Amino acid sequence: MTASSLLMDKQACFLLKTNFAPCTILQLTRYDLTQLESQLHATIQRTPHFFMGSPVIIDLEKVRQLGPLNFTKMKDILLANQLVPIGVRNGSEEQQCDAATYGLPTLTIGRLSHGETGSHSSQKKETHPRTHQTKLVSTPIRSGMQVYAKDGDLVVTAPVSVGAELLADGHIHVYGPLRGRAIAGVQGNTDARIFCSLLEAELVSIAGYYLTKEEMPLLDKTQSVIQIFLEKEKIKIEPIL
Amino acid sequence: MAKIIVVTSGKGGVGKTTTSASFAVGLANRGYKTAVIDFDIGLRNLDLIMGCERRVVYDFVNVIRGEANLNQALIRDKHAKELFILPASQTRDKDALTLEGVAKVLDELGNTFDYIVCDSPAGIERGAQLAMYFADYAVVVTNPEVSSVRDSDRMLGLLSSKTKRAEEGREPITEHLLLTRYSPKRVTNGDMLSINDVNEILAIPLLGVIPESQAVLRASNSGEPVILDQKSDAGQAYADTIARFLGEQLPHRFIEEKSHWLKRIFSLKEKETV
Ligand SMILES: Nc1ncnc2c1ncn2[C@@H]1O[C@H](COP(=O)(O)OP(=O)(O)OP(=O)(O)O)[C@@H](O)[C@H]1O
Ligand SMILES: [Mg+2]
Repeated sequence: MTASSLLMDKQACFLLKTNFAPCTILQLTRYDLTQLESQLHATIQRTPHFFMGSPVIIDLEKVRQLGPLNFTKMKDILLANQLVPIGVRNGSEEQQCDAATYGLPTLTIGRLSHGETGSHSSQKKETHPRTHQTKLVSTPIRSGMQVYAKDGDLVVTAPVSVGAELLADGHIHVYGPLRGRAIAGVQGNTDARIFCSLLEAELVSIAGYYLTKEEMPLLDKTQSVIQIFLEKEKIKIEPIL
Repeated sequence: MAKIIVVTSGKGGVGKTTTSASFAVGLANRGYKTAVIDFDIGLRNLDLIMGCERRVVYDFVNVIRGEANLNQALIRDKHAKELFILPASQTRDKDALTLEGVAKVLDELGNTFDYIVCDSPAGIERGAQLAMYFADYAVVVTNPEVSSVRDSDRMLGLLSSKTKRAEEGREPITEHLLLTRYSPKRVTNGDMLSINDVNEILAIPLLGVIPESQAVLRASNSGEPVILDQKSDAGQAYADTIARFLGEQLPHRFIEEKSHWLKRIFSLKEKETV
């Protein structure tokens, strides 16, 4: 499959384009559908909007030895949790044939191949945030507004109000009071960080892990710059001295 | 071309109509030819505050629908020579206002007026968005309490994204904060946010502070915009606000707690006995 192929005909009333947007990989570490359901449910509860409608590929590498799997049930569980399964990969031949009959074709896209799966179960791991484009916003971000820096970092040089939402696939920098929500590493980049000069956020989140205002440590307001990062699956908030 | 001012807030009942009326009278009395438009379709009350409700024959929606022309619908104000009022319709049809219709009316007014003041309905829905869409200036009316400040913040977000200036990438709307129903005493008691609290959250220039005042209710009842009551604190505060809007530098008044006259006498007595 090429990254982009185009089938065009003068008389055709449509174009076929292939274009692979980043896609979430759900790697099954063991085959336990009950646990899958409860874990997904818990994840969605914590971050209701993260995966809303995201396409996912089910990676079967760790369960390929197990023989036939219940793909109907698996599909239902994902759909019920706002994820849209679009295919499988790395399964046994038998499993992949089986999956295809349930509308889950074998897809070999995505960067992960056998063996190099990241520790963060459902996400791909990258050592550096992909900062293709940095988005700069220099006007206040008010209640009800949402800014998303896709594939990159977000830099805000104005206040962020309560009720506003910042999202970035990479880091988030706020040079001004941060009173709304800041969600870095939206696509699962655990190395993403949040930097701000005054932390009064309602919520901060990195790669799906989050802290609400109540859970944040009280910081001395005169402290210089604050950084928020992920360490051993826990969110850390520290001043940069 | 007339300059268009929207008086907006998000939250209801904070003093938009009171402000629109006094703003319009204030500008007109300074010699600017001014029109004030009630965008609150179905809940018109600008005409009441201006004391011209009995002279309403045609309204904003009639003009948009071509049932009357502007000259028939505009009501000449009885207080200020250069002031005209375009009342809202009583229709329940919220879709009676259309973007094209509003554009047409503002365009026509723009040729002959200096200022057009748009009194926005509450909320963030269509009516409020139409009232702000063509604005050059916004007066964001805010009461010193958390929910009003939050709504004003939302409004500021809409002003910077859902308006003609924003959509065309022109210079943004000039934003002014007007704190109304301010009660220094309740700020001291901690029942109300202080000017600083509000400033810190909204971070836009403060145009004026209108104190909570009995004079406002009196003015509404008599159909005389409170700015005409120059003996009252609210009336003076609105006059200061107009002056600042027109570029004058004036200190904010009525923001400190007045000590009661009895207290003052007692403190004098105490001094005497010492
Ligand atoms: N400075 C003030 N002091 C005391 N009362 C005030 C003051 N300003 C406004 N009010 C009162 O508050 C009420 C609401 O005022 P007004 O109608 O101007 O608000 P509004 O924002 O236009 O309301 P709506 O959202 O319903 O259009 C009225 O009863 C008015 O008399
Ligand atoms: Mg009103």
